Amino acid sequence: MTISGLIQKEFIRIKSDRRTLILLFFIPMILIIIFGLTTGVGPTKFFTAAIISRDEMPTYDDFPSNSSEYDDIFISIMEQNSTTWDLYSQFNSTNIGEYNQAFNRCFYLLKNEFIDVFIILPQNFSESIVNNSNPVLIYYIDGSDSSAVRALEVAIQEPLALFRVEINMIENFTIMVPHLEFGVPSWESQLLNYALALILPIIIVGTTMNLTSLSIVSEGPLPRMLITPTAKRDIIFSKLIANTVVMIMQATEIFIMTSFFGLYSLGSLFDFYLVLMLIGFCGVAIGLFISAVSPTEQGANQMYLMMFIIIIIFSGTLMPAESLGGAKFLADILPLSHASVLITDITLRGLPLNLEHVFFILIISLVFLIIAYVAYKFKKLEV
Amino acid sequence: MENPDISNNTMVLVENLDVVFGNKHIVHDVSFSVEEGEIIGMFGISGAGKTTIIRVLTCQIEKKNWNGNVLVTGLSPSKRGNHSKILSNIGYVPQLELLNLYFELDPIVNVEIFTSTYGMDKKKAIITAEKLFNILDIPKDTWKKRVKRMSGGEKKRLSMAIGLIHHPKVLFLDEPTTGVDASKRYDILSYLKKLNQQLNTTMFIITHDLEAALICDKSAILREGKLLEFDTPQNLINSLPSRGLVARISIENLNQEIIKTIQKYPSIEKVLRVGNETIEVLMEDFEDNLPKLMKFLFENELKVYSMSRDVANFRRYFQIRIQEEEEKENRKNRSELMNEGDSP
Ligand SMILES: Nc1ncnc2c1ncn2[C@@H]1O[C@H](COP(=O)(O)OP(=O)(O)OP(=O)(O)O)[C@@H](O)[C@H]1O
Ligand SMILES: [Mg+2]
Repeated sequence: MTISGLIQKEFIRIKSDRRTLILLFFIPMILIIIFGLTTGVGPTKFFTAAIISRDEMPTYDDFPSNSSEYDDIFISIMEQNSTTWDLYSQFNSTNIGEYNQAFNRCFYLLKNEFIDVFIILPQNFSESIVNNSNPVLIYYIDGSDSSAVRALEVAIQEPLALFRVEINMIENFTIMVPHLEFGVPSWESQLLNYALALILPIIIVGTTMNLTSLSIVSEGPLPRMLITPTAKRDIIFSKLIANTVVMIMQATEIFIMTSFFGLYSLGSLFDFYLVLMLIGFCGVAIGLFISAVSPTEQGANQMYLMMFIIIIIFSGTLMPAESLGGAKFLADILPLSHASVLITDITLRGLPLNLEHVFFILIISLVFLIIAYVAYKFKKLEV
Repeated sequence: MENPDISNNTMVLVENLDVVFGNKHIVHDVSFSVEEGEIIGMFGISGAGKTTIIRVLTCQIEKKNWNGNVLVTGLSPSKRGNHSKILSNIGYVPQLELLNLYFELDPIVNVEIFTSTYGMDKKKAIITAEKLFNILDIPKDTWKKRVKRMSGGEKKRLSMAIGLIHHPKVLFLDEPTTGVDASKRYDILSYLKKLNQQLNTTMFIITHDLEAALICDKSAILREGKLLEFDTPQNLINSLPSRGLVARISIENLNQEIIKTIQKYPSIEKVLRVGNETIEVLMEDFEDNLPKLMKFLFENELKVYSMSRDVANFRRYFQIRIQEEEEKENRKNRSELMNEGDSP
C-alpha cells in the first residue's frame, strides 16, 4: 500500500472543495491588501516625541569630563535610527528652572497633540549606565485612549532596543509612565498594523483547523478504506501531511503578500513566517484531534467553533494574560497566546525567536496529535 | 495450505463460528463453505447476524470476539498478519454508496483513489475500470462528471465496479438491492450474474431481499445467529412436502377458525395465510390429496372462490422455514415453562 496514493487522495479532496480554498487563500489576501492600503507601503513614522534631558555626569577624580554622552546617543537614535518615532523637539535642562519651563512647554505640546509623548531622561541617566544599574526613563502620555497607551508602550520598545544594542547595554530600563488625560489621539490606522500581525496567526490557525477538523469525519468512504489493505496509521498520517502542506502554502502566500505590502516589522520577516507556520501546524494538529474525536460532521463543526473561540479568548490579545487570573493556565496550554507573544516580539520589539514559546507550541501540537492518533485508532468505523 | 482437507477452490470456509460481544451471543456454531465461482446468498431477517458474519470474514472483528475455524481465500482472519493479504484478495460493496464513493469526485478519480490503496498500476486500473463500466452500462458521459450527479442505479453499479477493480477472488455485497425500486432490483441482480459469469468472481451476498435467490447457486438461511439451511434454492424447495407443490385457495370470510378447521384435514402439512382471503396449502401426496381436500372443504360448507396450483418459490420456502423454526421454539418455551411449573 502506497502512502503517496493516500496523500494524493487528500489533495484531490481538498482541491475539489472550492469554498474551503476560498477561505484558505482568498480571505487572507483580501485582508492584507485592505490593511496594507490603510497603513501605506513602507515604514511610517507613527509617533512623535519630545525629550527633556536632565542628564548630568558627576565629576570624579578618575573621570575626566562631566560630559553626558548617553542622553545624546538616545536622542540621536530617536531622531535618526528609529523607524517608528519622530523627534519633535528636545530640551536640555540642568537646573530646576529650565526643567519647569521645558516641562510646561511639553505639556502644552502633548495636550494640543503636537506630540504623542514626552520623555524625560533623569539626572543620573548616564551614571546608571556606567554603573551597570538600571537607568530610569519617564515618559508622559495621553492616557485617555487606553489602546493608544498600549500601542505606545509597545512602540517605545524600539528606540530602547536600538539604544541598548548601540551601547551594548545589558541592564533593563526602569520605565515610569505618568498618564495625563486629554482627548483621543487619532492613530487608528497605525494601530491596524499592530493588529494585522495578530490577526494573521488567528486566520491561519482558524482556517487550517477548519479544513483539518473535517478531514476525517466528512470522508464517508473512510471506514470502507479499512476493508482494503490500508492501515489506519497511514490514513491519519496522509491527512497530517496533506493538510500541513496546504497550511505551508497558505503561510507562504501570507508571507509574500505581507512582504509586498510592507508589514511593519522590526525583526526578521522570515522569523514571522516561521511563527505563522508553527501556529498553522498547531492548527492542523488541533483540527485532526477534533476530526478524530467527533462522531459526526456537525459535531466536528461545533467543536471547531468552540475550540476556536476559546483559543482566541485565551490568546492574550483580547485580554492580557495577567488579567486571566486562575484561567491563565488555559492561555499557557493554548497555542495562540504563545504565538502572539512571539509575533509582537518579532515585529514590534525586533527580538529573535523566543525558543521557549516555540517549544511550547510544538509540545501543544504534539499532544493534540497523539490524542488524535489514539482516538482514531480506537474509533469504531463500520460500513 | 493451512487445511489439507479443503480444495484449492474453496474461497470461504467457516467451521463452528461463534461470535460473542460481551454477554451477547450473536452467531451460534455456523459452518459453511463457498467454492470458486459460486454466488452465495445469505438470507435472514434484520438482526439475524448477517453483517456480523461478513465482518468476521472481512477482518473487521477482533479475534477475541469470535471463535471457530475461518479461512478466506485460504487465509485465516484470526492472524493479524494475514489481514492485508486477505483484504487484497477480497472486494467489498457496502450497503450505502455514500460509504463507498467520493461524491464530489468523478468516477475515474474514484477508481484511481481505490486502486492506489491496493498499490496497483493506475493505467491498468483505468483499463479494467472501463471494461467494468461497459459491462455495467455506466454511460460514458458520466465518467468524468461528479458522482453526485449520477442516478441512484448508476451509483450502485459504480460501487460494484469499484468493489471489483482489483480483480478480487471473492466479492462481498451487503444488501445490494435494498432501497432500489422493484424494476431496478432485477437489473442489479442480472448485472451481478453477468459479472459472475464473465469474470468468474465468487460472490457472497447478504440480503433480506428474497428475490436475490434467483441468481444464487446456494442460499444460506440465518435466524437469530443460527444457520438453518445451506443448500441450492431448488434443493431447499424440493425438500418441502410434495417437492413444493402448493394449492392456492381463496375462501370467503376466511378467518382463524376456518384455518384451524382446514388444518384438521389429515395429510395437510402446512397452511399459510398469504392474503386477506387466500391461503396456500402444502400436503403429502399432493396429486392424490388435492381432490379429497376440495371435497373436505365443501363438506365443511366453506365457499371457495378459486383454486390454483403452483410450485413454491424461494420466498415461500423462506417463510415456511422461518415459521417452522418459530413454532419449534414456542413449543420448547412452553414445555420449559411447564417443567418449571412442575418442579417447585
Ligand atoms: N459490536 C457489537 N456489539 C454488540 N452487539 C452487536 C454488535 N454488532 C452487532 N451486534 C448485534 O448483533 C445482532 C446482529 O447484527 P447484524 O448487524 O449482524 O444483523 P443483520 O443480520 O446484518 O441485520 P440487518 O439486516 O438489519 O442488517 C444485532 O442484534 C446487533 O445488535
Ligand atoms: Mg446488516
